[in-house]
Amino acid sequence: MNLDNAFLQTPLFGIFLSLIAFEIGVSISRKWKFSLLNPILIANVLIIGFLTCTGISLETYNIGGDVITLFMYPVTVVLAVPLYRQVHKLCKYFVPIMIGICVGSLTAMLSVILCSKLLHLSHTMMLSLVPKSITIPMGSVVSAQIGGIPSVTIIAIVVTGITGAVTAPLVCKIFRIKYPVAQGVAIGTTSHALGTTRAMEIGEIQGAMSSLSIGVAGVLTAVVAPYILQWF
Amino acid sequence: MRILLQFAIIVGICLVGEFLHKIVGIPVPGNILGMVLLFILLCLKVVKIDHIKDVSDFLLKYIAFFFLPPSISIMAAGDEVLSQWPLLLAMCVALTIVTMVSTGWAVQLSVQISKTIKLHRKGIDVKRRAKVGSRESR
Repeated sequence: MNLDNAFLQTPLFGIFLSLIAFEIGVSISRKWKFSLLNPILIANVLIIGFLTCTGISLETYNIGGDVITLFMYPVTVVLAVPLYRQVHKLCKYFVPIMIGICVGSLTAMLSVILCSKLLHLSHTMMLSLVPKSITIPMGSVVSAQIGGIPSVTIIAIVVTGITGAVTAPLVCKIFRIKYPVAQGVAIGTTSHALGTTRAMEIGEIQGAMSSLSIGVAGVLTAVVAPYILQWF
Repeated sequence: MRILLQFAIIVGICLVGEFLHKIVGIPVPGNILGMVLLFILLCLKVVKIDHIKDVSDFLLKYIAFFFLPPSISIMAAGDEVLSQWPLLLAMCVALTIVTMVSTGWAVQLSVQISKTIKLHRKGIDVKRRAKVGSRESR
């Protein structure tokens, strides 16, 4: 049965499939409360499974998918809102927060470059992995700008976010990151929005610090990445 | 406030961001310039949170959903990803922890240093006051 005909050639199919898959993902992750069961990962498996089983092409899905992706612009812009809401905290600890985010963003980028060289990954793969610590709307455009593959970047970002969310409490304990401000900035800079949801569970200050770090780290990485990559 | 007007403000800022990127030629993606712009406008109180609250809360709440479609494109990922995915996965996990630790330590260390400097200054102040105080009492 070939469903790839005129009936599916409207954005409606892709939008409907995404909505249903995401809702199933959200309800599963709410039910089990296990950090690895991230709604995006579940929805990913469901959609890829569905497309493979029915033989509907990725292009057909993307007619609708592109409509949703269009929201990338407004979503990035409104990240300024959590940053503004925390502006008084940002001013209070301005220097330590900025030092932390700079060190974090540079470590994230340089460690990827170093590892890729050591493991002999291809240049495109390295470029795709460089913006893996920043939030998806920023990471995917940065990836495209520096010559990476946005879909690879997005998966790396999701993996990084989930790792951060799962391991944050343990990492803070083992490596003695005790200050709430330090914990929040570390989680937000490393694992963006996915980590922030976990940081909010750990504490109010951690959550606030984490959410303001997302925007700052994203802007910093976007500005600095092209210059750093010139050297490699 | 009216939802469509809120949308208009946000999309308008996106448009200005794109303009700055594509026409003015600032080498930072347009949506990120838009975020910086909105932050400046909020700080200057040109735009107030109330002007965009409902739409921004909605977008932020469902932020993950809007990036579902681009992540599906992993289906079209080449053999390069498929052949070395365990390595890539391990690398992402390990580097996440490295980044988190270095960021946390950097913040913690700079907070400690700034505290020591403050204490040091206070200490000097206390000594001075004590000196002045002792002179006055004489």
